[in-house]
Order: sequence, then structure tokens, then C-alpha cells
Amino acid sequence: MLRKLMKHEFRATGRVMLPLYLVVLVTSVGANLSIRRLMDTDVPLINVLASLLIIAFAMAILAVCAMTVILMIRRFYMNLLRDEGYVMMTLPVSIHQQIWSKLLVSLVWFIATGAVVLLAVNAAAYDVHAMQELWGWVQEIFAYLTRDLPAFFHSTAFLVEFLALGALTSFVTCLHFYAALAIGHSASGHKMALSVAAFFAIQWIGQLVSGMFFFSPLVDRIGDLAYSLMESGGAHLLLLGVIGGLAAVGAVLYAVTIYFLSRRLNLE
Amino acid sequence: MAILECNGLSKSYGKTAALEDVSFSIEPGRIVGLLGPNGSGKTTLIKLANGLLTPTAGKIEICNETPGPDTRAVVSYLPERTSIPTWMTARQLLDFYEDFYEDFRRDAAEEMLAHLNIAPGQSIRQMSKGTREKVQLIVVMSRAAQLYLLDEPIGGVDPATRDYILSTIIGNYDPQAAVVISTHLIADVEKVLDEVIFLDRGKVVLRSGVDDIRENKGMSVDELFREVFRC
Amino acid sequence: MKWYFSNDAPIYAQLIGQIRRGIVSGVFPPGERLPSVRELATEAGVNPNTMQRAMAELERDGLVYSQRTAGRFVTEDRGRIDDFRRRLAAEHVRRFLEDMEQLGFSRGEILSLLPQATRKEGDAHGDPGM
Repeated sequence: MLRKLMKHEFRATGRVMLPLYLVVLVTSVGANLSIRRLMDTDVPLINVLASLLIIAFAMAILAVCAMTVILMIRRFYMNLLRDEGYVMMTLPVSIHQQIWSKLLVSLVWFIATGAVVLLAVNAAAYDVHAMQELWGWVQEIFAYLTRDLPAFFHSTAFLVEFLALGALTSFVTCLHFYAALAIGHSASGHKMALSVAAFFAIQWIGQLVSGMFFFSPLVDRIGDLAYSLMESGGAHLLLLGVIGGLAAVGAVLYAVTIYFLSRRLNLE
Repeated sequence: MAILECNGLSKSYGKTAALEDVSFSIEPGRIVGLLGPNGSGKTTLIKLANGLLTPTAGKIEICNETPGPDTRAVVSYLPERTSIPTWMTARQLLDFYEDFYEDFRRDAAEEMLAHLNIAPGQSIRQMSKGTREKVQLIVVMSRAAQLYLLDEPIGGVDPATRDYILSTIIGNYDPQAAVVISTHLIADVEKVLDEVIFLDRGKVVLRSGVDDIRENKGMSVDELFREVFRC
Repeated sequence: MKWYFSNDAPIYAQLIGQIRRGIVSGVFPPGERLPSVRELATEAGVNPNTMQRAMAELERDGLVYSQRTAGRFVTEDRGRIDDFRRRLAAEHVRRFLEDMEQLGFSRGEILSLLPQATRKEGDAHGDPGM
């Protein structure tokens, strides 16, 4: 069922995201043209055109980034908490599957947006020489990271840790909004205002808890330990600590979201 | 085995009680009217049966199970407000229902769409409010479910559509399934019902067979309703 | 067949009355196979269980009979149908007399009104201009 939920989630979001990606790529070609050709002339009209193309490109990048986040929030809100909730929340699927389908699809769009933006920036700046230079750097870095077995292990571990960190950051970001909306919409009135309040309340609690953690003696110990292990894996330890912390935050937000959606749901 | 069973079911929102100590059961093969004025708890009861709300006290069970993903697979629910995703076309909506419900009869749905002259390729957003309601009713009635929960199915529709909806409910009759119709338009549905449950301010005030009412009181359910709920 | 329902009698009883009338008047001829309960219920716009109940009652009357696989049929016993025709007629006459008495007519007056009424009807039928 998770697979089916994700399929329909992609259908619902893809029709917004894919055309936006196309716009970004098209404007990146325009920007490329502008940078490499149009800027150099003295004809004012062409200069204006060149600036417009650059502005369009910048706007498209901004729009696609903003839309990725907005769509993530909007899908949760419109699909589960408004009228469509009557259809979605009575499907023969568990609430966990509902949340995971949205978390995973949002993660995919975050990654896709990142990739498209990277591609578009490259396309805008495209210049054979620069690309060759960049590719050279990538090769050098790769060679350095895999120069011997320990280095290879370290870099693989870093890669896995950074991927986990990225995915967790995406989940926690989504769940922060989900939990806030789920809390706010369990009330019978002022649902949106309460959701916003819940959002900042969650943020405040998060800062309070992390503050208490950073000023506790525990963190000094970990710091010392990491320092003493610096060469042989202290950085991994720190990263794993951050991953563990994020996972804990995510788990709490997830539990809150599930509780409010399953026990305190209050569709209009 | 009862299809729908409530036992001491209560639900309150804060201090206001929407349902108070409601107990009844509905057997297979029955078409039951859930009747009561606005705010009498009809929608609350139906939402509880769908697991969209959690009881404050007591229990509600569908085929001996608490509402959850398993019961939703055998319950076909028409909410009070039109709630199908508007970005889809009618055909995509059929895909959606076919994907999630094993008991969805696509051919029946397509036939009903054709009968009501609704183009499958039309986007739901472009449809009139009335057409959207019809489309949602079509997907709900196209399932071979154990329990149909229809919340105000004939609320805002024209007389011709109302007749079509009622004849769809009769034509879809299955001796193994039960149908619950919540409405305040009693005169229109009374002939379709086996029995009625009157709800007043969250309590069951009457439970009787339609013909028993007519036989014993010499009046229609509609007339009785007006008498019981006289303002 | 057109179906009408009043508010003061049970629906199954009204169904029995209308189907009896349909059989007596030949809308459902002797020996004919009846539509299924579900079809009849859909046509009349009534609950299928109520239609089933009416059918069971008609079977008890001997006006219809069911064959396990083939469905339900109108009886071929014309004598029985005629019995019901007479019963219906007697019922109508009784009600007619009651109504007329309520209007203050005596039996004698009623009887004298009847030939007049039938004559007028005959005229109406005889004159295509009417």
C-alpha cells in the first residue's frame, strides 16, 4: 500500500514539479546565452535583455526551491487535513504509511530539486574549460579519498553519514511542519493560527532541549573523547552523535504527528 | 454477525456531548435510515464508524473490529462534503479507487459515469458542484462493500438525480451488506429503508421498522419525524 | 406499471394491493414470469426486503408461485385470479357506498344515480366529438 500511496503522491506532485524543472532548465540556457554572448555588446537593448534573462533564471531557481518546500507543506495540509482528508484518511492504509509516503516523496523532490539546480547552474555557466577544470578537481579528490584502504573506509563512512544526515534533515524538516499542522488542526477553530503557534512552540522546545544538552557536562565528555580520537574516527563519532540527535528529534515529531492524526483528528 | 455495532458509544467535543450512550447494531441485508435534525449527532456517528474520530467512551465495531485500515477496506463512505481530489480527472479517480480497494468494480463505475453523461477525461475541478457530488457517489456505490455509510447522499441534488441515487442504492442491494443513510429528507428515502434510527441531541430516541411505524401509528416515518421533532 | 404510495398504510401492504391489481387487470398476465425482486423493487423505488415480503404474501394468496431456479410466475389458475377480481370489486363497491352515504345519499338514490352515470358514459363513448 505504501507503494500505491507513493505512486499517487508522485502523480499529484509531479504535475507541479516537473514543469517547474523544465522552466529552470530553459531559463538556464537563456542565462548561459546572456553570460557568454549578450553581456559583451554595447547595444543597450541587448544589455537589458541579458539582464532580464539572468533575472528570469534567478527567479526560476528561487521559485523551484520555494515550491519544493511549499508543496511539501501544502500536500500534507490539503490532502490530509482538509476536504480530501475524508477520502485519504478512510483509505485502507495505516497512518504510518500515509506519513511515510509523504516523507519519502518529499525527500525525492528535495534531492531532485537540488540536482536540477546544480545542473541548471552548471548549464548557465557552461564553459568547456571550466567544466574540465571542475572534473579534474573531482578526480583528484576521489583519488585522494581512495588512496589506501583506511582512507577508502573513512570516505565511504563519511558518505554514508552525510547521506543519512541529509535524509534525516529532510524528514525532520517535514515532520516539524507536519506535527505543527496536525496539532493546530486538532482544534475546532483557529486551526491555522494554532498551527503556526505550534510550529514556533516546537522550535522553541527544540532550542531549549538542545541548549540544555550543549551546556551539560555530557557534551564536554563527548568533545574530549572525539578530540582524543581525532585521527582514528573522532569526526565519525561527532557525526554519528548529530545523526542520533536528529533521529531522536524526528522520532518525537513523528510520534506527535501520528498521535494527533490518529487520535485527535478533527476534519471540518 | 452484526455489520455495525455500537455499545455505550459517547463522543464529546470539549464539554459539548455530540453522542451520549448510543447502543444499537445493524444486521446484514438492512438499509437503515439515520434520521435526526441538524446537530443531532448523525455525522459524528458516521465519522466514528470510519475512524475519523475516536470515541470518548464506549465502543463502535464494524464486523467485530474497531475502525482501522482493515475495516476501511470493507466500508464505503460518502462524506457529507464533496472531498474527491479536484486535480484528478474522473478516469484518474477510478484508477485511484481501483488501486486502493479490491472490491472496486470499475465497469460499474464507468457505466454509471456514462449513464449520467460525465466524460471520464474531464477534470474534476472543471465540474459543477452537483457533478462532483455525483462522481463521488459513483465511486462510493461502485464498491462491493460490506457496509455503506452515506452521509446526506441526496442533500443538494435535483429530483432526477435523487431518483437515480435511490435506484442505484436499491439496484446495488446485497443481502450480505448493510447500508446506513443519514438524512433529514425523510419523505424521499423512507420507502427505500427497512428501519430507522431517530437521533436527538446525541441520543437514540426511536428505533423501528418503517412498516411497523406505518402499521402501528397509521402515519409515515416523515409524519412521525415531524411530530417527534416539532419545534 | 406506475406505482403510487400513500402515507397511511404499510408499504408492503400497498405493494401487495398494487401487484394484485396488476395481475387482475392483466398487466401481469397469467403464467407470465415476474421480474426479479430487485428489479421490481428498483422500479417501484422501494426496499428489496419489503418487496420480498409482499411477494411472500402473494405466494400465500396463491396469485404467484416460485420455481426454484426459473423465478417467480403469475398463477395460471384463472379461477383464482377471477376470485380476486371479485374480491377487489366487492371492496370498491363497499368503499363507494360508504363514501356516498357520507355525502348523504340513500341506497335508493345511489341506485338511481347509477343508470344515469352509465348512460352518460355511453353517450360520451358514442360521440367522437367529445
